[in-house]
Amino acid sequence: MATDPTISLKIRTALAEYLKRDPDQILVAQHLRDDLGLDSMAVIELLYRIEEAFDLQIPDHDLAGMTTVGHVVSYVEKRLGKSAPAAPIKKSGKSLKATKPAKQSKPSKPKSKKKS
Amino acid sequence: MRARVVVTGLGVVSPIGIGISDFWKAALAGQSGISAISSFDPFPMEGYRSKVAGQVRDFAVERFIDSVQGERVDRYAQFGLVAAKEALADSGLQMAKENPHRVGVIVGAGMGGMVMGEREITQLYQQHKPHRVHPNFIPAITLNSASGIIAMAHGAKGPNLTISTACSSSAHALGQALHCIREGRADVVIVVGADASITPLVFAGFCSLRALSSKYNDNPEKASRPFDRLRDGFVMGEGAGTLILESASHAKKRKARVYAEIAGYAATNEAYHMVIPREDGLEVAHTMKLALADAGLTPAQVDYINAHATSTTIGDAVEVKAIRQLFKSRADKITISATKSLIGHTLGAAGAIGGIASVLALHTGKIHPTANYDDPDPACALAGLSRSAQERRVKVALLNAFGFGSNNAAVVFKQATAEGRRSKG
Repeated sequence: MATDPTISLKIRTALAEYLKRDPDQILVAQHLRDDLGLDSMAVIELLYRIEEAFDLQIPDHDLAGMTTVGHVVSYVEKRLGKSAPAAPIKKSGKSLKATKPAKQSKPSKPKSKKKS
Repeated sequence: MRARVVVTGLGVVSPIGIGISDFWKAALAGQSGISAISSFDPFPMEGYRSKVAGQVRDFAVERFIDSVQGERVDRYAQFGLVAAKEALADSGLQMAKENPHRVGVIVGAGMGGMVMGEREITQLYQQHKPHRVHPNFIPAITLNSASGIIAMAHGAKGPNLTISTACSSSAHALGQALHCIREGRADVVIVVGADASITPLVFAGFCSLRALSSKYNDNPEKASRPFDRLRDGFVMGEGAGTLILESASHAKKRKARVYAEIAGYAATNEAYHMVIPREDGLEVAHTMKLALADAGLTPAQVDYINAHATSTTIGDAVEVKAIRQLFKSRADKITISATKSLIGHTLGAAGAIGGIASVLALHTGKIHPTANYDDPDPACALAGLSRSAQERRVKVALLNAFGFGSNNAAVVFKQATAEGRRSKG
């Protein structure tokens, strides 16, 4: 599926900053854990940056299946209701109401990998 | 020969009851203490992913503590004061007859005085009036405020410590108290686990960690479901537990009723990750093994495990994997329960409250249910888990507690020998 170049670049840039790498080295096909070495906590930190960048609130149950860079890009595109070309990114700080977690509870599981 | 150490008093403040009698009755009935958080007054819950918790409702410290001391400390320390008062009364210990320098207090607390802490920080940042920061702010948020106030309330002048290792804090408090008495540095130690941090910032922090259950916001009693296939994270709780530990000889001399012996303890670190456990379970198995060795017991002698079991996907699976590694074929013959299924995860109080459930299992032969264990996860299934109360003569009980920072603790309790036991009362 064609990805929105602006959204994709923003996500790859966020990942590159987190991993201290060049954005060109981050590819949509890469697996977050196996290729980029992100553990579950690192994925959560990445999503925290993405929530800020795109003014989104990502519910826990949407994390399931988000295993590649491409999955994250597709998810953000879907949530923003866009495919290429991208609309301007909203500034953060707006009401969270518009992005309230969707009620689509899946029986399969949000991975809570914490020790606690 | 090192001194044997026994448990002679219990006290609790929990989401299912204040006082051991109410707590144990509710626990055996499988009653859930998990409910919706109505709001973080003055703002709503809307932005929080999780909206449920094990809250101690209608708690007013003045109902339990006469002294003004109770009103000057944060909620977690108030819980600790109330639980300590009950446990001391339960033990029959009379401080007037004790050498005060031989009575210690060891508290386990993960978060400490967050109620006042958050309020004062918010006011300062909003109003920019540093002179309006409350004079009691520092004493209240200092992490040893509970161990200090409990010592003052009872005149306990012996070793006074606070242990903070996140969710394993009060399991270590039990272990350090065991060492303290074994080494002859005290006759009695009041061991307390306490936390009360269902507060706007801390709760938001756990939500951001994506550690909390968020699927059961409309059905709070179902949210804490350790070992169940549909678990999706832990549920925050709050409360305090107190166990009075004393040397067996001291208990015998004053003809105290003995609930159980605390016989072994181990403390380890996985040196692995701040919040994720090692998936192979090796370090957890090693910790349980060390605690049993410290007690002079073998895995084959364990009858009951009070599991750490927070209801997270990986945490529960790792604990069961470790239990299978250590206990092998006996794993399915051990009775197991998860106290957090009833009250949520009380963080620094969890080890003490789990310890109380362990001691009561030894003392009464009853094991509380694991609520919501409806559909056993194949990765976690153990024959000894049940959503109903179980009866069994328990001679040896093992308590597990694990914390952020790669921290592990295990504590072993065993049935008291006839010599130290006054009655079953």
